[in-house]
Amino acid sequence: MKTIVTFGLFILIASMVLGGATSNVYAQDDLTILLKLAKRAQNQVQNQISSESPDKIKRLFEEGVQNVNSLEKTIRNNDVDSAKKHFLTAMKIFTQISRQSTSSDVPTKESTSEVAAKTALDSARSSIKDPSNNLQRLQVYVNSLKTIAKKHNASIDFSDLDELFRLSKQQINDNQFALALDTLQKIKEIIVEVNKEIRDEASKQESQRAKEYAQKYLEQLDRLIENAKKQDVSDEIIKKLENARENLSSADNPNDIIKEIRKILSIKKQFELTKNDRLESRVLQVEKTISRLSQMDIVDQDDLANARDTLQSIKRDLYDGKFDTANELLRDLAKQLQEIKNSL
Amino acid sequence: MNPEIVPIHRKEFLREDGMLFVRTEGILETMVKAPLIIASLIVVALAMPIQTSFSSTRSLDLILYSDGSAHVSSQLDVDPLDPDFEVNLFGPSIDNFVAVGENGFLLSSEIIDDKVTIDTFGTSSITVDYDIHDLISKEGRVWTFSLDSPTDYSLLMPQNSIIVGMNALPSNMIIINDQTQLELSTGLSEINYILGTTNPPVTNPPVTNNEQSTLDFFTISIISISITAAVVGAITVIKRKQTKSLPVIQNEITESETKTNFHDPETIFNLRPEMREDDKEIIKFISENGGQVLESDLRKKFLQPRTTMWRTVKRLERQGVIEIAKKDLQNLVKLKKELEEEE
Repeated sequence: MKTIVTFGLFILIASMVLGGATSNVYAQDDLTILLKLAKRAQNQVQNQISSESPDKIKRLFEEGVQNVNSLEKTIRNNDVDSAKKHFLTAMKIFTQISRQSTSSDVPTKESTSEVAAKTALDSARSSIKDPSNNLQRLQVYVNSLKTIAKKHNASIDFSDLDELFRLSKQQINDNQFALALDTLQKIKEIIVEVNKEIRDEASKQESQRAKEYAQKYLEQLDRLIENAKKQDVSDEIIKKLENARENLSSADNPNDIIKEIRKILSIKKQFELTKNDRLESRVLQVEKTISRLSQMDIVDQDDLANARDTLQSIKRDLYDGKFDTANELLRDLAKQLQEIKNSL
Repeated sequence: MNPEIVPIHRKEFLREDGMLFVRTEGILETMVKAPLIIASLIVVALAMPIQTSFSSTRSLDLILYSDGSAHVSSQLDVDPLDPDFEVNLFGPSIDNFVAVGENGFLLSSEIIDDKVTIDTFGTSSITVDYDIHDLISKEGRVWTFSLDSPTDYSLLMPQNSIIVGMNALPSNMIIINDQTQLELSTGLSEINYILGTTNPPVTNPPVTNNEQSTLDFFTISIISISITAAVVGAITVIKRKQTKSLPVIQNEITESETKTNFHDPETIFNLRPEMREDDKEIIKFISENGGQVLESDLRKKFLQPRTTMWRTVKRLERQGVIEIAKKDLQNLVKLKKELEEEE
């Protein structure tokens, strides 16, 4: 026993000592970053200050520069706490100067949506702003839709969108922002259609996924009901669970499945029957992992057969209320599957 | 019937001139119960991955645009037992929302104010992407990004922006062309910046704090090794039991899959002139490997931690250069065939 104690304590102390050492090294790197950021800000703020700037601004700037200098010194002295303090003070001062030196232009604070609304109004009145950001955002969104469409095997033609993207980019490059905005509007209209097509396709597959999920949930619910019976839970609660089970097994569309499962969750919560949920969640995860591994040719099928047997034992244990045994087996199984994954 | 209640400390007392002798031999085991504590620590250490495996944010990346909007990309672990999952968005002004499950399938979702309910149906991880207009405000020339983040995250600043103030301490910074990418920690961060300016001259070369990721890995390795050693040691001494390791299975990509058509790297670079130099190296490597490669191989080749490489791959995916497919349990990174069409 003494050997174990000594060994365990040695390991824990070694972890703490080595962990602490590496944290100090992090701090050094962090500080270099802080200095670079502070110097950049200092240079930028310096550009905003002229000989005509108010004395108050000039004094503030001096204070900021002093803090940057102190930051540099504290970094040399490895004084992490002081360095952080000087950085935050310097940055606070530089923000203050930037705000004060520009406050005469636009005195009130505006949220982005207000800025956008104002920009739209201004655009209508006079010049139109460069819509490059709109283009970028839509491009990222369409790229996501393309990936999803491919995943769902949806035969959607993106060539019109690609062409319009090319056109709008060209228009922006030529400073024809009004035309570019029109093109972006067309892109948005097509995206609405494409989105609808993808969602229709996705909903077909969602229905199947929802049914598979409901099936797994029913298995779990059976185990819960069986255990509730063994633990002398009142007949009324068991009856409620059995009714909920019946309703879930007859639900056949995703919305109904969600509705029924929510009812079950509510019953479980009401009667404090959630203590094994974490275990059940892990069983589901492990089951998924085995299923995925089984689709791989390079995985030894004997290993997977063993894993499946263990999973069945775990389910039996859960059914019989042997939660500690199930937990232990589940931990071993998760470790075993992780080893398989790591070896890939 | 009414027994007198006697305080325990009154039962035995020391005389004022008495001396207390304490037997020190075995005090650690009898008083501190060290084995019990160690066992508890090991159990806690083992339980940690399980505790964090449900309903937690795995990664969060933000891109700020110069018009004050932002793109949010987040990967979350969810409980596979739940039929749906509610995600708190960073505000109510949301555009272009997309949620996909672990297999890349689109998940149904409903946004109400700053919350979205996603029908997960047993999926254990989801990826959420959206544009948001609530994170940035403007006062005069100064833009302010503000976020109370539930997790550590990366933040890519807009082009031609200079940070003039911040109340948070970044853990890392990378300069990508004209853009600054910061790694920030959980909690409230406020960053003030100015646009429409060229970067002031920097005396030092741009910082890429690669060392940190190595050290991060180092720390994790030490802790993991320590915990593993403790567990193995304890088990060995107590039970004299040896664990049986599973045979190593060689990873291979089938020949049919390597025959995919792909672009020449130079063509890709011409079409994406803004691409980072380190990303170009990755593209070259993928190209040299037949146009597709496992993400794990990229990590090995470029010695990057999992999250860093994941962000890189996601960035290249956003640029439309690559696509990510699932090959069994791993991410297969493929050069896109239709790159020219997307441009």
